Amino acid sequence: MNIASEVASWFAQPQNWSGSGGIPVRFAEHVYYSVLALLAAAAIAVPVGLLTGHTGRGGFLAISLANFARALPTIGVLTLVVLGMGLGLTPVLVALVALAVPPILVNTYEGVRGVDPQVTDAARGMGMRGGEVLARLEVPMAMPLILLGLRTAAIQVVSTATIAAYVGIGGLGRFIVDGQSQQRIEQILGGALLVVALALAVTGLFTLLRRWVVAPGLRRRAAASSSTAS
Amino acid sequence: MVEAVRAALAFTEPLWGWAVQSWQWGWSNFDDPVGPMLAEHVLLSYASVLIGLALAVPLGVLSVRYRVVYPPVLGGVNALYAVPSLALFFLLLPYTAFTPWTAILPLALYTLAILVPNVVDGLNQVPDHVRQAAVAMGFGPLRRLLRVELPVAVPVIIAGLRVASVATISMVSVASLVGLGGLGGVILTYGFARDFAAPVVVGIALSVALAFATDGLLVLAQRALTPWARDRGPARRGGRSARRRIPGTGARAREEAAA
Amino acid sequence: MITFEGVSKRYPDGTVAVDHLDLTVPTGHTTVLVGSSGSGKTTALRMINRMVEPTAGTVAIDGDDVRGQDPPVLRRSIGYVIQQAGLFPHRTVADNIATVPQLLGWSKRRARERSRELMDLVGLEPAHSSRYPHQLSGGQQQRVGVARALAADPPVLLMDEPFSAVDPVVRAGLQDELLRLQAELRKTVVFVTHDIEEAVKLGDSIAVLRPGGRLAQVDSPERLLAEPADDFVESFVGYDRGVRRLSFFPARDLPLRSDVIVGEGETAAVAREVAATTGEPWLLVVDSRRRPLGWVSADALAAAADDRDVAELDLVGYGHIFTVSTDSLRAALDAAVLSPAGRAVGVADDGTVLGAVDQTELGSAIWAAGSDDDRSGTEDGRG
Repeated sequence: MNIASEVASWFAQPQNWSGSGGIPVRFAEHVYYSVLALLAAAAIAVPVGLLTGHTGRGGFLAISLANFARALPTIGVLTLVVLGMGLGLTPVLVALVALAVPPILVNTYEGVRGVDPQVTDAARGMGMRGGEVLARLEVPMAMPLILLGLRTAAIQVVSTATIAAYVGIGGLGRFIVDGQSQQRIEQILGGALLVVALALAVTGLFTLLRRWVVAPGLRRRAAASSSTAS
Repeated sequence: MVEAVRAALAFTEPLWGWAVQSWQWGWSNFDDPVGPMLAEHVLLSYASVLIGLALAVPLGVLSVRYRVVYPPVLGGVNALYAVPSLALFFLLLPYTAFTPWTAILPLALYTLAILVPNVVDGLNQVPDHVRQAAVAMGFGPLRRLLRVELPVAVPVIIAGLRVASVATISMVSVASLVGLGGLGGVILTYGFARDFAAPVVVGIALSVALAFATDGLLVLAQRALTPWARDRGPARRGGRSARRRIPGTGARAREEAAA
Repeated sequence: MITFEGVSKRYPDGTVAVDHLDLTVPTGHTTVLVGSSGSGKTTALRMINRMVEPTAGTVAIDGDDVRGQDPPVLRRSIGYVIQQAGLFPHRTVADNIATVPQLLGWSKRRARERSRELMDLVGLEPAHSSRYPHQLSGGQQQRVGVARALAADPPVLLMDEPFSAVDPVVRAGLQDELLRLQAELRKTVVFVTHDIEEAVKLGDSIAVLRPGGRLAQVDSPERLLAEPADDFVESFVGYDRGVRRLSFFPARDLPLRSDVIVGEGETAAVAREVAATTGEPWLLVVDSRRRPLGWVSADALAAAADDRDVAELDLVGYGHIFTVSTDSLRAALDAAVLSPAGRAVGVADDGTVLGAVDQTELGSAIWAAGSDDDRSGTEDGRG
């Protein structure tokens, strides 16, 4: 029997779709950890990126810290927190947040720094206060990069959340880990495919989000010549 | 004042204790697990990045020469990037067993998502008049690529290599779950399995140090390879291009990887 | 009125951008700060709206020290236009123009209405209101920039090299537009440029700054061209300042000769007689509606058969003409220099020929203008 049909039959087996170890539950767990980690990372990285980008102060420090976080081995962070706090959700979240903060922080910072200084000069010259410049100008103009950073982080988080299985809290990694211990290749492949599908869904979601929140004036291609681009 | 210092010391005491303990453990065990594992880490990560580069350059050159190739190539490498490394390691095990290839092949494939867009961007950066001048002087396509286009693309390619190497060095540890992870082995086998923090700290610290050292080497390599670009860069304060490039971030490369 | 009193700007690294500047910018006039790069002209401008704080001295608007006001509040009462407009790329033209009204808390409707008014004022079609800046040409973007600065009807307008990034033809159009607007609105305009031509064209008065931020001379454009205070100003205003200064003297006082005109349909014999009595080597042939046809030389007349119509002879082009009532001596001189006959044709507003003037007579008029230093000359002869 070839491997593709084995994977197909794994997906077709009803018992893989039910119970606490079924695909829907594992999928939901995976999404839950990923969303939680991404939200926590965004709550840290976006404000720090906006503030350092806006003031120009502390940018070097923030970027250096982000680079440091980028160099941290996820397995190491996970293990360290497990040793400190025991198995559970927290170690996974800490490891995933450490993974997600750098791309969000760096892109947000660069997005704000990348705003044409002439435009901010004009804004201040017309009497905008710092907060107004940030809210009305820098955030909307940095939005494409902020979204890019969030998307990069989201895909890495989704792919890395498989390690949650190692600290016993499920997720799609469970299929991969169990497939290995039971020598069932089709189950490893099935789990991997589900993760890839989730990553593709994330990509699609961010494409929609981009259409939703990025100001139309910044979407150059969309509005080439028509006068009523809305 | 003295009180405050004392309080701070007391508060951070566990940390100091950890640091000292970790240092001692790392030093006394350098010959047995630490040193060889570090060497394995270097081998696995460097081999992965170099193989990735060897694949990315021809893919990038093809993508620039034949524009239609680029979208599917980009889509392919990005899809690969989303596959969990754990799954790839497991899937390779039956074929490559516990040879280094089980770790190197997936890691090399991951670097493509970062390196291919950078090679393409770098080649696209060659100004048209430079390319035309090269043609006018009688350079053939291959010579033009080797003598003109790739050298001009070097800074962007190295920027990609910096991001890819840091990412790979931190990811190698995951391979320890299939028994191949370099410093990840120190973390898991000596730390996790024995409920002992010192090896974990040593593993993390050495991994980060290796990443930074590699980054530094790449910066030196770039300076050596592009002597013409040495005096530019941050010199033009306020210039738009200078402003956008923050040393050591590779943020652009990272965005592209996810695009 | 904006006053600079002993204003200096010294940066911590020791560079001096502006050095003891004393300057008065009269209300309702356009004052141009001109100088090469490093002359501190932009710094001086930016001190007015506190984008730069002086390290010594006082900048005051109508007697009130600008430091007495919260910068954002102060800036909302001062229009600000910069190079390449600095438009917000993510907002429509209408929203860009309504920026300051929105900051001031105007209602949406009132702000929108004001946007529409201003687009009309600066010559932008209403259809452009929902476009984004990148969909506009450079000239249109600059118009939006001016409209945005005028949105809250500020009494003071600061313009920092606003037209330097557009091509010369568009720039000339924008300059004309600004002159027209200023004639209507009478704002207190401070305009920074490195282009002395632009300064002469737009300024009621011009302040020339030298490198190191010291004021070299403040004067009306005409006096600046006539009497540069020193070698620096002289070299800055350019070697042809004498010719350019002629644009401040009207052509209407030129002695025009109408006896050198012959109508279409006259014969060569008649024309020969005219040439003989006037002693002129060239006659101007006009058509039945008194529009110029061209010059005919006395030599050509001598060689022609008696009954030939002068209009059928070999005519020499009349080059370009000057309008007597509105053009300056400079335009007349230009027309004479470019004409093969060495004479300039002056026409009335309706295009009919009033007469011609030769280079000798122009020379006397120029001489008279040059020695006549009492008149200010700024009230006319422009445009």
